[in-house]
Amino acid sequence: MATRVAFRCMLASFPSALTPRRLPLRVCAHSRALGTSSRAAAALKFTDKHEWVRVEDGVGTVGISNFAQEALGDVVYCSLPEVGTKLNQMDEFGALESVKAASELYSPLTGEVTEVNQDLAENPGLVNKSCYKDGSQGAGA
Amino acid sequence: ASVPYSHTERETFLAEHCRPGVVLKSASCDIFQNLAFEDWIHAHVDVEKRSILFMCRNRPAVVIGRHQNPWQECNVPLARERGIPVARRRSGGGTVFHDLGNVNLTFFSSRKRYDRQRNLRIVTRALRQLSPNLDVHATERFDILLNKQFKISGTAAKLGRTGAYHHCTLLCSADRALLSATLRSACAAGIRSNATPSVAAPVRNLRDEDPTLNCDAVMEAVASQYYADFGLSAPAVVVDPTDELSHPGIRRITQELQAWDWVFGKTPAFSLDTSFEVQCEACDTKVNLTVGVKSGAIETCSIESPQDWLPPAMCRELSGLMVGSRFRPSDMAVIFTAFLRANPQSHELENKMHILCEKVVALM
Repeated sequence: MATRVAFRCMLASFPSALTPRRLPLRVCAHSRALGTSSRAAAALKFTDKHEWVRVEDGVGTVGISNFAQEALGDVVYCSLPEVGTKLNQMDEFGALESVKAASELYSPLTGEVTEVNQDLAENPGLVNKSCYKDGSQGAGA
Repeated sequence: ASVPYSHTERETFLAEHCRPGVVLKSASCDIFQNLAFEDWIHAHVDVEKRSILFMCRNRPAVVIGRHQNPWQECNVPLARERGIPVARRRSGGGTVFHDLGNVNLTFFSSRKRYDRQRNLRIVTRALRQLSPNLDVHATERFDILLNKQFKISGTAAKLGRTGAYHHCTLLCSADRALLSATLRSACAAGIRSNATPSVAAPVRNLRDEDPTLNCDAVMEAVASQYYADFGLSAPAVVVDPTDELSHPGIRRITQELQAWDWVFGKTPAFSLDTSFEVQCEACDTKVNLTVGVKSGAIETCSIESPQDWLPPAMCRELSGLMVGSRFRPSDMAVIFTAFLRANPQSHELENKMHILCEKVVALM
Protein backbone atom coordinates (compact mmCIF):
# COMPACT_ATOMS: atom_id res chain seq x y z
CA MET A 1 0.00 0.00 0.00
CA ALA A 2 2.67 2.44 1.03
CA THR A 3 4.73 1.51 -2.00
CA ARG A 4 1.83 2.14 -4.29
CA VAL A 5 1.39 5.56 -2.75
CA ALA A 6 4.99 6.35 -3.35
CA PHE A 7 4.76 5.19 -6.96
CA ARG A 8 1.63 7.16 -7.54
CA CYS A 9 3.24 10.30 -6.24
CA MET A 10 6.22 9.77 -8.45
CA LEU A 11 4.18 9.17 -11.58
CA ALA A 12 1.79 12.00 -10.96
CA SER A 13 4.15 14.77 -10.15
CA PHE A 14 7.66 13.74 -11.05
CA PRO A 15 10.01 15.52 -10.74
CA SER A 16 8.50 18.49 -8.97
CA ALA A 17 6.51 17.33 -5.92
CA LEU A 18 7.99 15.80 -2.83
CA THR A 19 6.83 12.37 -1.76
CA PRO A 20 4.76 12.37 1.41
CA ARG A 21 6.87 9.71 3.08
CA ARG A 22 10.60 9.33 2.99
CA LEU A 23 11.44 7.00 0.20
CA PRO A 24 14.34 4.58 0.38
CA LEU A 25 16.96 5.88 -1.97
CA ARG A 26 19.36 3.36 -3.34
CA VAL A 27 21.72 4.57 -5.97
CA CYS A 28 22.86 1.69 -8.11
CA ALA A 29 22.88 0.76 -11.75
CA HIS A 30 21.63 -2.09 -13.86
CA SER A 31 23.68 -3.73 -16.54
CA ARG A 32 23.24 -2.40 -19.99
CA ALA A 33 22.29 -5.88 -21.11
CA LEU A 34 19.32 -5.85 -18.77
CA GLY A 35 18.42 -2.41 -19.95
CA THR A 36 17.44 -3.77 -23.31
CA SER A 37 14.77 -6.05 -21.86
CA SER A 38 11.40 -4.36 -21.85
CA ARG A 39 10.63 -5.40 -18.29
CA ALA A 40 13.68 -3.66 -16.86
CA ALA A 41 13.11 -0.64 -19.10
CA ALA A 42 9.52 -0.30 -17.93
CA ALA A 43 10.65 -0.24 -14.30
CA LEU A 44 12.91 2.77 -14.80
CA LYS A 45 11.66 6.32 -14.58
CA PHE A 46 13.79 9.02 -16.15
CA THR A 47 14.18 12.60 -15.00
CA ASP A 48 14.59 15.40 -17.48
CA LYS A 49 18.20 15.56 -16.38
CA HIS A 50 18.81 11.95 -17.43
CA GLU A 51 18.98 10.35 -14.04
CA TRP A 52 16.96 7.19 -13.76
CA VAL A 53 15.10 5.93 -10.73
CA ARG A 54 13.65 2.54 -10.01
CA VAL A 55 11.49 2.03 -6.97
CA GLU A 56 10.97 -1.43 -5.53
CA ASP A 57 9.50 -2.29 -2.13
CA GLY A 58 9.87 1.29 -1.00
CA VAL A 59 13.52 1.47 -1.98
CA GLY A 60 14.52 3.81 -4.78
CA THR A 61 17.59 3.15 -6.86
CA VAL A 62 19.27 5.99 -8.77
CA GLY A 63 21.72 6.15 -11.60
CA ILE A 64 22.41 8.10 -14.79
CA SER A 65 21.13 7.12 -18.19
CA ASN A 66 23.06 5.78 -21.13
CA PHE A 67 22.37 9.05 -22.90
CA ALA A 68 23.92 10.95 -20.02
CA GLN A 69 27.01 8.80 -19.75
CA GLU A 70 27.62 9.10 -23.49
CA ALA A 71 27.16 12.85 -23.31
CA LEU A 72 29.60 13.07 -20.40
CA GLY A 73 32.43 11.20 -22.02
CA ASP A 74 34.89 9.16 -19.98
CA VAL A 75 34.20 9.66 -16.29
CA VAL A 76 37.42 10.26 -14.41
CA TYR A 77 36.09 11.05 -10.96
CA CYS A 78 32.95 10.26 -8.99
CA SER A 79 32.00 11.41 -5.51
CA LEU A 80 28.90 10.12 -3.74
CA PRO A 81 27.24 10.83 -0.38
CA GLU A 82 27.75 8.92 2.82
CA VAL A 83 25.22 6.31 3.90
CA GLY A 84 22.74 7.99 6.19
CA THR A 85 22.71 11.29 4.32
CA LYS A 86 19.22 12.73 4.11
CA LEU A 87 18.35 14.26 0.78
CA ASN A 88 15.51 16.29 -0.62
CA GLN A 89 14.54 16.12 -4.25
CA MET A 90 16.83 18.41 -6.27
CA ASP A 91 19.54 18.44 -3.57
CA GLU A 92 23.04 18.11 -4.86
CA PHE A 93 24.20 14.67 -3.72
CA GLY A 94 27.45 14.10 -5.52
CA ALA A 95 29.67 15.09 -8.38
CA LEU A 96 31.10 13.60 -11.52
CA GLU A 97 34.05 14.75 -13.50
CA SER A 98 34.51 13.57 -17.01
CA VAL A 99 36.82 14.55 -19.85
CA LYS A 100 34.02 16.85 -20.84
CA ALA A 101 33.54 18.81 -17.63
CA ALA A 102 32.72 18.69 -13.94
CA SER A 103 29.02 18.33 -13.17
CA GLU A 104 26.85 17.91 -10.11
CA LEU A 105 24.44 15.06 -9.46
CA TYR A 106 20.99 16.06 -8.25
CA SER A 107 18.73 13.78 -6.25
CA PRO A 108 15.55 12.87 -8.12
CA LEU A 109 13.95 11.70 -4.89
CA THR A 110 13.54 12.65 -1.26
CA GLY A 111 14.93 10.08 1.06
CA GLU A 112 17.81 8.77 3.09
CA VAL A 113 20.79 7.10 1.49
CA THR A 114 21.04 3.47 2.60
CA GLU A 115 23.60 2.13 0.21
CA VAL A 116 26.27 3.59 -2.01
CA ASN A 117 28.12 1.90 -4.82
CA GLN A 118 31.67 2.18 -3.46
CA ASP A 119 33.16 0.74 -6.64
CA LEU A 120 32.55 4.01 -8.41
CA ALA A 121 35.01 5.94 -6.26
CA GLU A 122 37.77 3.48 -7.14
CA ASN A 123 36.68 2.91 -10.69
CA PRO A 124 34.72 5.85 -12.06
CA GLY A 125 34.86 4.37 -15.55
CA LEU A 126 32.10 1.98 -14.49
CA VAL A 127 29.65 4.83 -14.95
CA ASN A 128 30.37 4.63 -18.68
CA LYS A 129 30.77 0.87 -19.02
CA SER A 130 27.76 -0.20 -17.04
CA CYS A 131 25.50 2.70 -16.25
CA TYR A 132 22.48 0.59 -15.49
CA LYS A 133 24.16 -1.87 -13.16
CA ASP A 134 27.68 -1.74 -11.81
CA GLY A 135 27.98 1.93 -12.59
CA SER A 136 24.92 2.99 -10.63
CA GLN A 137 25.35 5.32 -7.79
CA GLY A 138 23.66 3.92 -4.71
CA ALA A 139 20.53 3.16 -2.77
CA GLY A 140 18.39 5.01 -0.32
CA ALA A 141 15.44 4.56 1.97
CA ALA B 1 39.04 49.78 -25.56
CA SER B 2 37.06 48.86 -22.44
CA VAL B 3 34.38 51.25 -21.29
CA PRO B 4 33.33 51.40 -17.66
CA TYR B 5 29.56 51.53 -17.20
CA SER B 6 27.46 51.94 -14.10
CA HIS B 7 25.24 48.99 -13.27
CA THR B 8 22.08 50.61 -14.67
CA GLU B 9 23.83 51.78 -17.78
CA ARG B 10 25.19 48.34 -18.38
CA GLU B 11 21.87 46.61 -17.93
CA THR B 12 20.15 49.05 -20.28
CA PHE B 13 22.95 48.72 -22.77
CA LEU B 14 22.68 44.94 -22.75
CA ALA B 15 18.90 44.90 -22.83
CA GLU B 16 18.62 47.41 -25.65
CA HIS B 17 21.14 45.79 -27.83
CA CYS B 18 20.04 42.21 -27.09
CA ARG B 19 23.47 41.06 -27.95
CA PRO B 20 23.87 37.36 -28.46
CA GLY B 21 27.39 37.71 -27.06
CA VAL B 22 28.84 40.03 -24.45
CA VAL B 23 32.40 40.52 -23.24
CA LEU B 24 32.88 41.33 -19.57
CA LYS B 25 36.21 42.37 -18.12
CA SER B 26 36.87 42.21 -14.40
CA ALA B 27 38.00 45.21 -12.39
CA SER B 28 39.37 42.85 -9.75
CA CYS B 29 42.68 40.96 -9.57
CA ASP B 30 41.58 38.79 -6.67
CA ILE B 31 41.28 35.08 -7.52
CA PHE B 32 38.41 34.48 -5.08
CA GLN B 33 36.41 37.46 -6.27
CA ASN B 34 36.83 36.41 -9.88
CA LEU B 35 35.96 32.78 -9.23
CA ALA B 36 32.91 34.01 -7.31
CA PHE B 37 31.92 36.13 -10.29
CA GLU B 38 32.06 33.08 -12.55
CA ASP B 39 29.90 31.19 -10.08
CA TRP B 40 27.45 34.03 -9.91
CA ILE B 41 27.09 34.29 -13.72
CA HIS B 42 26.67 30.51 -13.93
CA ALA B 43 23.94 30.56 -11.31
CA HIS B 44 22.06 33.72 -12.27
CA VAL B 45 22.42 34.60 -15.91
CA ASP B 46 20.20 33.06 -18.57
CA VAL B 47 22.63 31.91 -21.22
CA GLU B 48 20.00 30.48 -23.53
CA LYS B 49 19.76 33.75 -25.40
CA ARG B 50 23.10 35.34 -24.63
CA SER B 51 26.61 33.96 -24.35
CA ILE B 52 29.23 35.69 -22.27
CA LEU B 53 32.99 35.93 -22.36
CA PHE B 54 34.53 36.93 -19.02
CA MET B 55 38.15 38.03 -18.88
CA CYS B 56 40.37 38.67 -15.90
CA ARG B 57 43.91 38.58 -14.54
CA ASN B 58 44.79 37.66 -11.00
CA ARG B 59 47.52 38.42 -8.50
CA PRO B 60 49.63 35.30 -7.88
CA ALA B 61 47.52 32.30 -6.91
CA VAL B 62 47.49 28.54 -7.34
CA VAL B 63 44.19 27.27 -8.69
CA ILE B 64 43.39 23.58 -8.39
CA GLY B 65 40.57 21.67 -10.03
CA ARG B 66 37.36 20.64 -8.27
CA HIS B 67 38.50 17.12 -7.44
CA GLN B 68 42.19 17.64 -6.89
CA ASN B 69 44.52 17.33 -3.93
CA PRO B 70 46.34 20.61 -3.19
CA TRP B 71 49.15 18.83 -1.35
CA GLN B 72 49.70 16.67 -4.40
CA GLU B 73 49.52 19.53 -6.88
CA CYS B 74 51.58 22.27 -5.30
CA ASN B 75 53.86 23.20 -2.46
CA VAL B 76 51.25 24.34 0.03
CA PRO B 77 53.70 25.46 2.76
CA LEU B 78 55.73 27.44 0.23
CA ALA B 79 52.64 29.11 -1.21
CA ARG B 80 51.55 30.01 2.32
CA GLU B 81 55.00 31.42 3.11
CA ARG B 82 54.98 33.55 -0.02
CA GLY B 83 51.46 34.80 0.58
CA ILE B 84 50.18 33.02 -2.52
CA PRO B 85 46.61 31.83 -1.93
CA VAL B 86 45.51 28.36 -2.98
CA ALA B 87 42.04 28.33 -4.54
CA ARG B 88 39.83 25.44 -5.62
CA ARG B 89 37.69 25.96 -8.72
CA ARG B 90 34.19 24.60 -9.15
CA SER B 91 35.17 23.29 -12.58
CA GLY B 92 37.23 20.16 -13.19
CA GLY B 93 40.64 19.91 -14.77
CA GLY B 94 44.14 20.39 -13.48
CA THR B 95 46.21 22.88 -11.53
CA VAL B 96 47.34 26.21 -12.88
CA PHE B 97 49.36 29.11 -11.59
CA HIS B 98 47.85 32.55 -12.03
CA ASP B 99 49.63 35.86 -11.92
CA LEU B 100 49.22 39.20 -13.62
CA GLY B 101 51.07 37.87 -16.66
CA ASN B 102 48.37 35.27 -17.23
CA VAL B 103 45.04 35.98 -18.91
CA ASN B 104 41.94 34.06 -17.84
CA LEU B 105 39.06 33.60 -20.25
CA THR B 106 35.68 32.11 -19.35
CA PHE B 107 33.18 31.27 -22.08
CA PHE B 108 29.62 30.99 -20.76
CA SER B 109 26.99 29.44 -23.00
CA SER B 110 23.95 27.18 -22.98
CA ARG B 111 24.72 23.48 -22.83
CA LYS B 112 23.70 23.20 -26.45
CA ARG B 113 26.23 25.77 -27.54
CA TYR B 114 28.98 24.37 -25.34
CA ASP B 115 31.92 23.94 -27.69
CA ARG B 116 35.45 24.14 -26.31
CA GLN B 117 37.23 23.82 -29.65
CA ARG B 118 35.22 26.69 -31.03
CA ASN B 119 36.21 28.85 -28.08
CA LEU B 120 39.86 27.93 -28.47
CA ARG B 121 39.69 28.83 -32.18
CA ILE B 122 38.60 32.30 -31.14
CA VAL B 123 41.72 32.51 -28.99
CA THR B 124 44.15 31.19 -31.60
CA ARG B 125 42.66 33.41 -34.26
CA ALA B 126 43.01 36.41 -31.98
CA LEU B 127 46.68 35.59 -31.33
CA ARG B 128 47.38 35.24 -35.04
CA GLN B 129 45.68 38.60 -35.65
CA LEU B 130 48.31 40.15 -33.38
CA SER B 131 51.18 38.01 -34.57
CA PRO B 132 50.49 36.49 -38.00
CA ASN B 133 53.33 33.96 -38.03
CA LEU B 134 52.61 32.63 -34.57
CA ASP B 135 52.46 28.83 -34.42
CA VAL B 136 49.62 28.17 -32.01
CA HIS B 137 47.07 25.39 -32.13
CA ALA B 138 44.60 23.66 -29.83
CA THR B 139 45.13 19.97 -29.05
CA GLU B 140 42.58 17.21 -28.48
CA ARG B 141 43.09 17.71 -24.78
CA PHE B 142 42.06 21.36 -25.25
CA ASP B 143 45.53 22.68 -24.45
CA ILE B 144 46.95 25.39 -26.66
CA LEU B 145 50.50 24.69 -27.78
CA LEU B 146 53.08 27.16 -29.00
CA ASN B 147 55.46 25.86 -31.67
CA LYS B 148 53.79 22.46 -31.21
CA GLN B 149 55.78 22.06 -28.00
CA PHE B 150 55.02 24.50 -25.26
CA LYS B 151 51.78 24.70 -23.38
CA ILE B 152 50.49 28.25 -23.20
CA SER B 153 46.94 27.43 -22.21
CA GLY B 154 45.03 24.83 -20.20
CA THR B 155 41.28 24.25 -20.10
CA ALA B 156 38.68 23.34 -17.52
CA ALA B 157 34.92 23.26 -17.65
CA LYS B 158 31.70 22.97 -15.71
CA LEU B 159 28.33 21.70 -16.88
CA GLY B 160 25.31 22.96 -15.01
CA ARG B 161 21.63 22.24 -15.40
CA THR B 162 21.02 24.61 -18.28
CA GLY B 163 24.27 26.46 -18.81
CA ALA B 164 27.89 25.56 -19.07
CA TYR B 165 31.20 27.30 -18.93
CA HIS B 166 34.60 26.64 -20.33
CA HIS B 167 37.56 28.55 -19.02
CA CYS B 168 41.17 28.62 -20.00
CA THR B 169 44.40 30.35 -19.09
CA LEU B 170 46.81 32.07 -21.44
CA LEU B 171 50.44 32.58 -20.50
CA CYS B 172 51.60 35.97 -21.73
CA SER B 173 54.27 37.09 -19.28
CA ALA B 174 53.90 34.96 -16.18
CA ASP B 175 56.69 34.53 -13.64
CA ARG B 176 57.85 31.08 -14.69
CA ALA B 177 60.30 30.66 -11.84
CA LEU B 178 57.57 31.29 -9.30
CA LEU B 179 55.24 29.02 -11.26
CA SER B 180 57.66 26.08 -11.18
CA ALA B 181 58.56 26.48 -7.53
CA THR B 182 54.95 26.76 -6.39
CA LEU B 183 53.65 23.88 -8.48
CA ARG B 184 56.25 21.46 -7.20
CA SER B 185 54.71 19.42 -4.40
CA ALA B 186 56.79 18.61 -1.35
CA CYS B 187 55.15 15.27 -0.70
CA ALA B 188 53.39 14.04 -3.85
CA ALA B 189 55.43 10.83 -3.93
CA GLY B 190 53.93 9.66 -0.67
CA ILE B 191 50.31 10.46 -1.50
CA ARG B 192 47.80 7.79 -2.50
CA SER B 193 44.44 9.06 -3.63
CA ASN B 194 41.92 8.96 -6.43
CA ALA B 195 41.96 12.71 -6.85
CA THR B 196 42.24 13.85 -10.44
CA PRO B 197 45.90 14.40 -11.28
CA SER B 198 47.38 17.19 -13.35
CA VAL B 199 49.32 16.48 -16.49
CA ALA B 200 52.56 18.44 -16.33
CA ALA B 201 53.84 20.09 -19.50
CA PRO B 202 56.66 22.41 -20.50
CA VAL B 203 55.37 25.97 -20.70
CA ARG B 204 56.35 29.18 -22.39
CA ASN B 205 55.25 32.79 -22.27
CA LEU B 206 53.82 34.31 -25.44
CA ARG B 207 55.82 37.43 -24.78
CA ASP B 208 59.06 35.46 -25.09
CA GLU B 209 58.01 34.52 -28.60
CA ASP B 210 56.70 37.95 -29.58
CA PRO B 211 57.20 40.95 -27.28
CA THR B 212 54.02 42.63 -28.54
CA LEU B 213 51.91 39.86 -27.00
CA ASN B 214 51.23 41.43 -23.61
CA CYS B 215 48.09 40.76 -21.56
CA ASP B 216 46.20 43.90 -22.54
CA ALA B 217 46.79 43.43 -26.25
CA VAL B 218 45.80 39.78 -26.02
CA MET B 219 42.60 40.48 -24.09
CA GLU B 220 41.58 43.14 -26.55
CA ALA B 221 42.23 40.85 -29.51
CA VAL B 222 40.27 37.97 -27.98
CA ALA B 223 37.34 40.28 -27.18
CA SER B 224 37.27 41.55 -30.77
CA GLN B 225 37.42 38.03 -32.16
CA TYR B 226 34.64 36.91 -29.82
CA TYR B 227 32.38 39.73 -30.90
CA ALA B 228 33.29 39.13 -34.55
CA ASP B 229 32.10 35.54 -34.13
CA PHE B 230 28.65 36.99 -33.46
CA GLY B 231 28.98 39.50 -36.25
CA LEU B 232 29.33 42.35 -33.76
CA SER B 233 31.80 44.97 -32.79
CA ALA B 234 31.71 46.43 -29.33
CA PRO B 235 33.80 47.34 -26.30
CA ALA B 236 34.22 45.03 -23.35
CA VAL B 237 32.13 46.00 -20.32
CA VAL B 238 34.03 46.40 -17.05
CA VAL B 239 32.46 44.59 -14.10
CA ASP B 240 33.15 44.78 -10.38
CA PRO B 241 32.92 41.37 -8.65
CA THR B 242 32.69 43.07 -5.27
CA ASP B 243 29.50 44.91 -6.24
CA GLU B 244 26.90 43.16 -4.10
CA LEU B 245 24.11 45.40 -5.38
CA SER B 246 24.59 44.38 -8.99
CA HIS B 247 25.34 40.79 -8.07
CA PRO B 248 23.34 39.88 -4.98
CA GLY B 249 24.87 37.00 -3.11
CA ILE B 250 28.34 37.34 -4.60
CA ARG B 251 29.98 38.23 -1.29
CA ARG B 252 28.78 35.00 0.28
CA ILE B 253 30.10 33.02 -2.70
CA THR B 254 33.48 34.76 -2.36
CA GLN B 255 33.64 33.81 1.33
CA GLU B 256 32.68 30.20 0.59
CA LEU B 257 35.47 29.93 -1.95
CA GLN B 258 38.00 31.27 0.55
CA ALA B 259 36.98 28.92 3.35
CA TRP B 260 39.43 26.23 4.43
CA ASP B 261 36.61 23.69 4.30
CA TRP B 262 36.24 24.33 0.56
CA VAL B 263 39.84 24.77 -0.53
CA PHE B 264 41.36 21.99 1.57
CA GLY B 265 38.38 20.22 3.12
CA LYS B 266 37.00 19.17 -0.26
CA THR B 267 40.09 17.13 -1.05
CA PRO B 268 39.14 13.54 -1.92
CA ALA B 269 40.25 11.07 0.75
CA PHE B 270 43.96 10.33 0.61
CA SER B 271 46.78 8.75 2.54
CA LEU B 272 50.21 10.24 2.99
CA ASP B 273 53.16 8.04 3.78
CA THR B 274 56.39 9.87 4.33
CA SER B 275 59.47 10.02 6.49
CA PHE B 276 61.81 12.75 7.62
CA GLU B 277 65.31 12.72 8.89
CA VAL B 278 66.08 13.69 12.42
CA GLN B 279 69.37 13.91 14.18
CA CYS B 280 70.07 11.23 16.74
CA GLU B 281 73.29 11.19 18.71
CA ALA B 282 75.33 12.79 15.92
CA CYS B 283 73.88 10.52 13.23
CA ASP B 284 70.75 10.84 11.12
CA THR B 285 67.77 8.64 11.54
CA LYS B 286 64.26 8.49 10.10
CA VAL B 287 60.86 9.07 11.58
CA ASN B 288 57.93 7.66 9.59
CA LEU B 289 54.58 9.35 9.40
CA THR B 290 51.48 7.80 7.88
CA VAL B 291 48.20 9.69 7.86
CA GLY B 292 44.80 9.03 6.33
CA VAL B 293 42.96 12.25 5.57
CA LYS B 294 39.29 12.57 4.71
CA SER B 295 37.47 15.85 4.14
CA GLY B 296 40.62 17.58 5.32
CA ALA B 297 40.56 15.84 8.69
CA ILE B 298 43.02 13.22 9.94
CA GLU B 299 41.24 9.87 10.24
CA THR B 300 44.17 7.64 10.93
CA CYS B 301 47.66 8.47 12.03
CA SER B 302 50.80 6.61 12.93
CA ILE B 303 54.18 7.98 13.88
CA GLU B 304 57.13 5.62 14.02
CA SER B 305 60.27 6.81 15.63
CA PRO B 306 63.44 4.94 16.55
CA GLN B 307 63.19 4.03 20.23
CA ASP B 308 66.12 6.19 21.23
CA TRP B 309 64.73 9.30 19.59
CA LEU B 310 61.15 9.39 20.86
CA PRO B 311 59.53 6.76 23.11
CA PRO B 312 56.95 4.69 21.18
CA ALA B 313 54.34 5.44 23.85
CA MET B 314 54.71 9.14 23.17
CA CYS B 315 54.40 8.58 19.44
CA ARG B 316 51.25 6.56 19.94
CA GLU B 317 49.69 9.15 22.18
CA LEU B 318 50.53 11.95 19.81
CA SER B 319 49.10 10.02 16.86
CA GLY B 320 45.93 9.47 18.82
CA LEU B 321 45.60 13.18 19.50
CA MET B 322 46.08 14.05 15.84
CA VAL B 323 43.14 11.89 14.79
CA GLY B 324 40.07 14.04 14.34
CA SER B 325 41.95 17.30 13.84
CA ARG B 326 42.42 19.05 10.53
CA PHE B 327 45.43 18.48 8.33
CA ARG B 328 46.42 22.04 8.99
CA PRO B 329 49.41 23.77 10.67
CA SER B 330 47.34 25.71 13.18
CA ASP B 331 45.61 22.54 14.36
CA MET B 332 48.96 20.77 14.78
CA ALA B 333 50.41 23.63 16.77
CA VAL B 334 47.48 23.47 19.18
CA ILE B 335 47.84 19.71 19.63
CA PHE B 336 51.56 19.73 20.24
CA THR B 337 51.34 22.62 22.67
CA ALA B 338 48.50 21.00 24.59
CA PHE B 339 50.35 17.68 24.68
CA LEU B 340 53.51 19.20 26.12
CA ARG B 341 51.57 21.18 28.67
CA ALA B 342 49.71 18.09 29.86
CA ASN B 343 52.79 15.87 29.72
CA PRO B 344 55.84 17.89 30.70
CA GLN B 345 59.00 16.31 29.36
CA SER B 346 62.69 16.64 29.77
CA HIS B 347 64.29 19.51 27.91
CA GLU B 348 65.75 17.10 25.38
CA LEU B 349 62.44 15.40 24.64
CA GLU B 350 60.66 18.72 24.36
CA ASN B 351 63.17 19.83 21.75
CA LYS B 352 62.55 16.67 19.78
CA MET B 353 58.81 17.24 19.95
CA HIS B 354 59.33 20.72 18.56
CA ILE B 355 61.40 19.31 15.72
CA LEU B 356 58.74 16.69 15.03
CA CYS B 357 56.03 19.33 15.03
CA GLU B 358 58.01 21.47 12.60
CA LYS B 359 58.55 18.52 10.24
CA VAL B 360 54.88 17.55 10.29
CA VAL B 361 53.71 21.14 9.77
CA ALA B 362 56.17 21.51 6.87
CA LEU B 363 54.08 18.96 4.97
CA MET B 364 50.80 20.78 5.46
